Amino acid sequence: MRRDNIYTEEEFPSPLAELWQNFKQSPIVMVGFSCFAFLILFSIFSPIISPYSPIENNLDHILLPPAWHDDGNVSFLLGTDNLGRDMLSRIIHGTSLTFGLSFVVVILSMIIGVIIGSLSALTRGIKSSFLNHFLDVILSIPSLLLAIVIVAILGPGLNNTLWAIVMVLIPQFVHITRNAVVQEFKKDYVLASKLDGASSIRILHYSIFPNITEKIISQATLAQSAAILDIATLGFLGLGAPIPMPEWGAMLANGIDLFYIAPWTVYLPGLAILFAIIATNLVGEGMKHALKMQREN
Amino acid sequence: MFILTILTFSLSFFFPGEHLANISGQINATPEQLELVALEYGKHESVLYQYWYYLNHLFQGNLGVSMNSQLPVADEIMSHLPATIELTLVALFIAMIAGIPIGFIAAIRHRKKTDNLILSFSMIGYSIPVFWLALLAILVFSIQLGWLPSAGQISLVYEIEQVTGILFIDILISDTPYKWQAFNNATTHIILPACVIALAPATIFVRLARTAMLSVLDSHYIKAAMAKGLNTRQIVFRHAIRNAMVNVIRDVGLQFANLVTLAMVTEVIFNWPGIGNWLIQSIYQRDYTAIQGGLLALSSFIFIVHILTDFIYASLNPLARGSKHAS
Repeated sequence: MRRDNIYTEEEFPSPLAELWQNFKQSPIVMVGFSCFAFLILFSIFSPIISPYSPIENNLDHILLPPAWHDDGNVSFLLGTDNLGRDMLSRIIHGTSLTFGLSFVVVILSMIIGVIIGSLSALTRGIKSSFLNHFLDVILSIPSLLLAIVIVAILGPGLNNTLWAIVMVLIPQFVHITRNAVVQEFKKDYVLASKLDGASSIRILHYSIFPNITEKIISQATLAQSAAILDIATLGFLGLGAPIPMPEWGAMLANGIDLFYIAPWTVYLPGLAILFAIIATNLVGEGMKHALKMQREN
Repeated sequence: MFILTILTFSLSFFFPGEHLANISGQINATPEQLELVALEYGKHESVLYQYWYYLNHLFQGNLGVSMNSQLPVADEIMSHLPATIELTLVALFIAMIAGIPIGFIAAIRHRKKTDNLILSFSMIGYSIPVFWLALLAILVFSIQLGWLPSAGQISLVYEIEQVTGILFIDILISDTPYKWQAFNNATTHIILPACVIALAPATIFVRLARTAMLSVLDSHYIKAAMAKGLNTRQIVFRHAIRNAMVNVIRDVGLQFANLVTLAMVTEVIFNWPGIGNWLIQSIYQRDYTAIQGGLLALSSFIFIVHILTDFIYASLNPLARGSKHAS
């Protein structure tokens, strides 16, 4: 007798693979995802792609409008700023500063936050309740305000800004990990492995982490869009990246004085920030939607 | 709230420079004065006592003096905070007026073109960096079109005595002959910054209202109403809106922190004399007493709004009154 189906075994995708399955259903989300991937590539290879150095002055071409303008020059595709620096190169380099660094910041705070969160989920009593209330207070302060205060302690500068944003993002990750772990601990399969004599660390590693990864990743995309905005805002306020650095927010602040004669120095970096945030938010939205579908199935 | 004071108290240790100078703001004091201040803040005793003294000072409304202007920080906050409250309240009002009905419309036309259009616009609106939007708004509305003024709270021509700090009330209780002109002028000044601040929260309200409305429309009592033969308009206006509103209001408080942050940045651009502008100026000048005081004031303001919205939510929704924790 011939078997119709050779592989009778049904394959269960892991939660992460299932998330990806659901995630790639929606075309708009995939567009966002490709933009996101594109930005990551840009931020890694920015020194190779960009035509000029971001701090190179071309003093013969000061305040050149973009190439599609009548006075534009095609060798400076997006025009130049008040010191004759090529806007295109600056924006490409800015990708690695604003977008790339926000990525690093989110990963760093995710690691720290997840560790603290899962440890705190294992503790009970006064320690955990103290942590809970502490987190509530921290979460009630607006993230940008907190970042500004931390920058005030550390002093302005790009590095300090990044540390500040890491510290601001940590409580969110602690919060979400803690809730997810506590929720997962109540389930029966955890009880089963507990009865088998597994230690809590082992349960955490083998049973819980694979099941909460998708929640943490979805939080990470939300955190990233906040991080981009915070880095840019701090740069704009003059508390983040110092002036010659091609950070998008700082570029924008630099362009304000020239707003009326050279509006492209303001709207181009702004558009770049907008593009990055929209791409990140689309990915985050898709992630959320996929999570919801997963829960409903 | 309690932890908040510990946080600001410990900030005075974290800031660079002398702790005592940071907490009191006395930088040019002679050694004798310094000794007096040290005694006042319990400098010679343990940290716990110092904290106790700090709390005492707080309850007396004494936040030290600003390092730059040597004016009491509490007075400066009181003169700047109302302007921010005014701006955020107007922005919140605009955001709610615009956002919630649009969200309801999106929910009623769920999965149709209108819904998708509204959702994509809300995504874009949510992603626009506020400082960029503010600059564009100034460029378009105040420079190219010349409709609205670009900076400040009111034209310098009008001299309004500060009583409550909230300008509109000040104008109404003042007895200048130009009351209505001043009022109009203040209104045109507030429109642009408030709209800029309102955009992002409005898009969030759109989403909140949409999900709330969707869940209400899904419920059994709506089905019962439909079975009774009511038309859509009657169902939406009589049954759905009220129940959806209750859920939206609960989240308004959470959005407030976001709103205040946006207001801080916008104040800098529009040169609005609020607390965000003042706080960022004091960071530039490394005025640590001012930063501490400002942080405390802003956070407690947000905290109070949270509690207020909880109360409003509880009073609107009988289901929530039974629960023990109101946080």
